[in-house]
Amino acid sequence: MIASLARKAFRYEGFGYDVMSLLLQILVDALLLGGVYTLMAVGLSLAFGVTRIINFAHGEVLMFGAYAAFFAFAGLKLDPLLSLPFVAVLGAAGGYLLFKSSIERILDDAGINQVLLTFGIGLVLQNVAVILWTGDERSAIPSYAFDSWFLSDDVVVAKGRLIAFGIAAAFMLALLAWLRWSELGRATRAVSQNRAAASLMGINVHAIYALSFALSSAFGAATGAIMSFLLPITPFMGFPILVKAFAIIILGGLDSIIGTVLGAFFLAITETAIAYLVPDGIGWAEGVAFFLLVLMLIVRPTGILGSAERDA
Amino acid sequence: MNSPWPWICIAVAVLLALFLPPFLPPGLDDFATRLSTLVLVAVSWNMMASAGLISLGHSGFWGVGAYTAALLANSIHLPFWLSIVPGMLLGAFFGVGLAYITGRLRGLFFAIATLAMSEALRVVALMVPKLTGGAEGVFVFDAIRPERTTLTSFALCLSVATVALSYFLAKSRYQFAFRAMRDGESAVQMLGVNPVRFRAGVTALSGAIASCAGVISAWYTGYLDPGSAFDLKVTIAAQIAPLFGGLYTVAGPVLGSAAILTVSELTRLHFGYSAGVGLLAYGVILVFGVLFMPAGIVGLSKRWFGRYTRRRKTRVSQP
Repeated sequence: MIASLARKAFRYEGFGYDVMSLLLQILVDALLLGGVYTLMAVGLSLAFGVTRIINFAHGEVLMFGAYAAFFAFAGLKLDPLLSLPFVAVLGAAGGYLLFKSSIERILDDAGINQVLLTFGIGLVLQNVAVILWTGDERSAIPSYAFDSWFLSDDVVVAKGRLIAFGIAAAFMLALLAWLRWSELGRATRAVSQNRAAASLMGINVHAIYALSFALSSAFGAATGAIMSFLLPITPFMGFPILVKAFAIIILGGLDSIIGTVLGAFFLAITETAIAYLVPDGIGWAEGVAFFLLVLMLIVRPTGILGSAERDA
Repeated sequence: MNSPWPWICIAVAVLLALFLPPFLPPGLDDFATRLSTLVLVAVSWNMMASAGLISLGHSGFWGVGAYTAALLANSIHLPFWLSIVPGMLLGAFFGVGLAYITGRLRGLFFAIATLAMSEALRVVALMVPKLTGGAEGVFVFDAIRPERTTLTSFALCLSVATVALSYFLAKSRYQFAFRAMRDGESAVQMLGVNPVRFRAGVTALSGAIASCAGVISAWYTGYLDPGSAFDLKVTIAAQIAPLFGGLYTVAGPVLGSAAILTVSELTRLHFGYSAGVGLLAYGVILVFGVLFMPAGIVGLSKRWFGRYTRRRKTRVSQP
């Protein structure tokens, strides 16, 4: 890796690039990408930590969030940043409904039913979107979408991604503070650590489940609103994002929020480095998540900071 | 095992598979081929599920089989009936690899690992165009493609063989090992079965069968690209068919395959080729099946039949 990196770097030098700028550019891109990745995966990790159910429809929640932000932008001329809070609230309501209408019925079923049910919900949501809005690509283009700043001659910071990073960081800090200091947040952590004990402490476990699903979907929808000005919006955008989010939470250890952050940045750095340094790198970068996932399962199945037992 | 009836049923099914296809009208002919590939993946998926392994990567096995057949046909003109051998071997190899990579991972984690494997294979197929033709895809050497009816017979025979295999497995002493695997691997050890080897055996068999379906589809359509060979739809269909028919049963995957293929044909007739409707129907079946019909068609019919016999018994016992 280091050898090939050095070789590439020297080759770039021949074209007037210098090594430092290249590395700095990779770092900047990876940092900004990592923020969005964190936000994208943290909902999944939160819901899993509390209910021990992986929501295979999380990608579709995100896709609906992106469409909501897009239609607010196209129809009401509302900037995605302004519509974001509303989208997140809608997402929370949707997540709550989803939990109450279907997922609550299968909480104690075998794992296979939970996987198949949420997978089926994702399939329904995706194809409802296909039927309603066709498979055409759309994109919300606020003024900052293609804007960028030059840090130095060679290092560019994309403005859209910087804004996305800022929002992601704000959301993450709010979530951590809520979990740390609020009454409900403490209850959520208690349920995540031990259902039975939490229930003995007088915590309404099912209400916490519903709350965590609502929060998880709110985070998903908010990520979607951010993605609406970063990526083309299609009904099929959810699935690749879902697989990346899986890779991130498995890297991080599934139920640890800090682990999710680490996993997201690890994936972002690996992807960015490969995209810059390997020939055809952008295509390969799409597969990095899968290879990392498989590699992680072999090397350290509990993830970087994981405590989840693997027999779930 | 001692009863002759299973063997008679198999013989009749094979004879039908061999001699019926030339007399089928073209539409039904196509239906039969697609049904048999669906039965193959459904039985294969159900086999893994019976051992407690939820696969979301059957499109990976399918794609491996399809690419093996297509590439060998183009490079060394391997005929279709022979190409299932390397196809199935490679599928089994990937199955064993998956079993060892995932180690003791179960349930959810196994499911995610299989999903990642199949997506990784798709990316590889896309990014190594020298071998696979990349995004442009690859045409199967046309001169050695068999007649449609020959291929239909072949596919039907293979699906009969697979269903027979799953029947004999379900009758053998391994049924207990499968059931114990669903409960937990320590339970299998109590039976004196090595869980690691048993799991590798199941994934190998399941991978080989699913690859076999891929081989047939490659010969049948004559064209492959990474998107269609590693299509998630295969995985979706492979899990809906057993669920709808009846999980962990022999008849379930077959009944379920016929049912969901009929549903998808009907939606196609009714809504034309408009995108999304067929998959929406699959999704609705999946959600509905899990929530309201967890034992599938087989479970429903058993319940009705059971109610009927019970009522008769009580009637007899009342003087």
